[in-house]
Amino acid sequence: MEKKEYDAVILGGGLAGLMAANIVAAAGFSVAVVSKVFPTRSHSAAAEGGIAAYMMGNSDPNDDPDFMSYDEVKGGDYLVDQDAAELLSKKSGEIVSLLDAWGAPFNRQPDGRIALRYFGGQTYPRTRFIADKTGMALLHTLFEHSTGFKNIEYYNEYYVLDIVKEGNNVNGLVAMEMKTLNPIYLKSRALLIASGGIGMMYKHTTNSYINTGDGQGIALRSGVALKDPEFVQFHPTGLYPSDILISEAARAEGAILKNNKGERFMAKYAPHKFDLAPRDIVSRSMTIEIREGRGFEGGYLGLDLRHLGKKYIIERLALAYDAAKNFSGVDASEEMIPVRPAQHYFMGGIDVDTTGTNHDLNGIFSAGESACVSVHGANRLGSNSLLETVVYGRETGNTMVEFLKTHKNVETNSNVEPIIDAAYAYIKRETGEHFGVLTEELRDIMWDNVGIFRDNDKLAEAVSKIKDLRVRARSMYVTDKTSNYNTELFNALETRNMLDVAYTMATAALNRKETRGAHFRDDFPERDDKNWMKHTITYLAGDEVKISYKPVTYTRWKPEVRVY
Amino acid sequence: MEEKEITVNIKKYNDKDGAFWKSYKLKADKYTQMTEVLRRIKSEQDPSLAYRASCHMAVCGSCSMKINGIPSLACRTIALQAVDEKNEINVESMDYYPGVRDLITDIDVFYDKMYKVMPRLIADESVLMGENEQRMTPENQTEVWKFQECIYCGLCVSACPSVKEDEQFLGPAAHAKGFRFIDDVRDTKKSERLDLLMDSAYRCTSCYMCYEVCPQDVQPVIAIKKTKNYLDQYKGNTPITIMARKHDDTVENLIETTGKIKESTLFLKTFGFGEAMRDAIDMLKSGKFKYAFEKDSNVKNMNEIKNMMGEKK
Repeated sequence: MEKKEYDAVILGGGLAGLMAANIVAAAGFSVAVVSKVFPTRSHSAAAEGGIAAYMMGNSDPNDDPDFMSYDEVKGGDYLVDQDAAELLSKKSGEIVSLLDAWGAPFNRQPDGRIALRYFGGQTYPRTRFIADKTGMALLHTLFEHSTGFKNIEYYNEYYVLDIVKEGNNVNGLVAMEMKTLNPIYLKSRALLIASGGIGMMYKHTTNSYINTGDGQGIALRSGVALKDPEFVQFHPTGLYPSDILISEAARAEGAILKNNKGERFMAKYAPHKFDLAPRDIVSRSMTIEIREGRGFEGGYLGLDLRHLGKKYIIERLALAYDAAKNFSGVDASEEMIPVRPAQHYFMGGIDVDTTGTNHDLNGIFSAGESACVSVHGANRLGSNSLLETVVYGRETGNTMVEFLKTHKNVETNSNVEPIIDAAYAYIKRETGEHFGVLTEELRDIMWDNVGIFRDNDKLAEAVSKIKDLRVRARSMYVTDKTSNYNTELFNALETRNMLDVAYTMATAALNRKETRGAHFRDDFPERDDKNWMKHTITYLAGDEVKISYKPVTYTRWKPEVRVY
Repeated sequence: MEEKEITVNIKKYNDKDGAFWKSYKLKADKYTQMTEVLRRIKSEQDPSLAYRASCHMAVCGSCSMKINGIPSLACRTIALQAVDEKNEINVESMDYYPGVRDLITDIDVFYDKMYKVMPRLIADESVLMGENEQRMTPENQTEVWKFQECIYCGLCVSACPSVKEDEQFLGPAAHAKGFRFIDDVRDTKKSERLDLLMDSAYRCTSCYMCYEVCPQDVQPVIAIKKTKNYLDQYKGNTPITIMARKHDDTVENLIETTGKIKESTLFLKTFGFGEAMRDAIDMLKSGKFKYAFEKDSNVKNMNEIKNMMGEKK
């Protein structure tokens, strides 16, 4: 089997992975970036609205980084580690300047400075943007910047099977070239997991088809903890029926949500912030409207842009306009866009501190959506995911540089055959269920039972059904026996990852007996700071999810009632 | 929602069996995207079906393929809008790139061309050190963004006839990418970029296929034309750019002295006597030689032309 050695291996070629790759490579270390897609296909490209930043001399004169941190803490319903939020705000301006220096073509003000606009949950406008394809432009910028480094090697269209450990140290990972199914052992002492989100385990999601929780799955199987996996964000404006994201930028630019009576119903649920209240609140309000019969037939509501005028819509919200036109046949300047909530973001993730370090294994790091630094707490604010990927991508890159300076690669080669055998077993098996059946069942369970409104019965049912699916997945088989870009095998491996992650999510959700941010329990509708102001830590131990807790870090903001 | 049964014919391919067509029947409504059609075929009927797809909103450029013979993104294609009168639809892999499996092709040749144009901004050192802030007018940003919107889908290159004939042509996408940096006021490497792009720009035949198939409306051919506008600033001399200069100079000279472009003179001056003679023989053979001596008089109001050309200079 082929074997290659690097200082650092990075799993994922999205914004967080590429930012770290650029930092580690600039310090002179060798880097392998492994991804199941070419980097510009990563889900970062789908981020639309923008990146929040306080820029000295180019922000609202009343704004300062503390207001920004406060917005994050309150937006996250006080489950935010406040030191992490402060770091995020403090470095937001310089990271946008860096992206600008590397070529990101931010929209400009008439005087040539970077433009800004309001986003949900912001006290002052802070969102910087590149039309409504900010993620795509930033992803291309970082990828293109990385082509200047000779010490970054890309393994595009390689699927990662599992982490390789030697004792308690990371010793690289095993991947498979998708084109040939040839395995490769990529040995390294530092491993960054920056593999993004988990959306495909939900029936309705704005996420890319590739978001299958691979990084979280392999981390769990290596004894690495996921933090706060019960917190899943549902975005208010998924396009009906395709669930394509209509950016929050639409509401930031003045679009209004309306029910079938033409009422601006958000006035009732968030009398100050209206449609720009945080996403968990808007999604719940929409679900109530639909549930109580004030939605349109088919189960959706209207997003009204008409008063903005066609010219303005096309100039500022091109993607939303195009998406509505192409994928729902609606001209947004003449009709309301049909929208409903859809899964959008995973607040939970691999348990790391503010340096991006996980403490379960020596040499393992995580950044971006796959990580949980606890900057988003129980609910993420719009424009903060892009910010997190680049700020914490860079912080983690710097941490890895320091780690690499003081550590040597593990000398021994680990035995990686069992990892490869486990993957091939799906092909060798002649009977069993195929991945499609299990995936579809999982997508239904997660949407119906671990969704926007949860309760004990739904969650207990989900846990038991997912347990059963995990057993059935062991006898999953792949009908395609060729080694010629066998995508069916990779779908089966993705299903294995999704099931492992879903299992911890449902279990943690059942365990948390309160309502906080995006985790809404019909049977415990209040926030319970006395018992639940703590992070959930989950380990996967065979067939059991082990739960423990970590305290939330406070610096200056005491919990208060969260109204908008 | 009302659904219709459609038949999807997919040209499958694997190393063992070669290429063959296979048909699938399924129901679609008026919103069903082709990416969803493929996902459902894979999930419900043929798990071995291989294709690329990621964002399903036309920003990741994964799902490039030919649908009814037209280079398209599957996600941008609504199934019921693409079916013929028998409710059938044909799907196959992109042209030009080697096939790997079913709808998946190897597009490394596309990426290699992108890497060749130094696809990254090189800002001033003082900016990188954080000592200086970069400014950019909204107009400049708009133009840069237009050519930056390329999503690496590879459709333009698969449709480009010049790329197939001329290995030294960088192709439409790489030209859009390269020009995006020439055009960016923040970049410091304009002359190096002209060295990379100018010769190749003249290898484009301006057929506009890239303009037709680009799902992002990047208009690569326009980037190529705009690159040619920088010929005066280009310091290199390759056979093609020498010819281009002669062409430009002759056009200018002809307009100045005669008020119009005289094709035969332009041809002679651009390609030189030897090449012109070779072509003359071809023209004799095909009976078109007589057109070379067609009477071509000067325009009447030359003073006005001279004034206009004077203003330009």
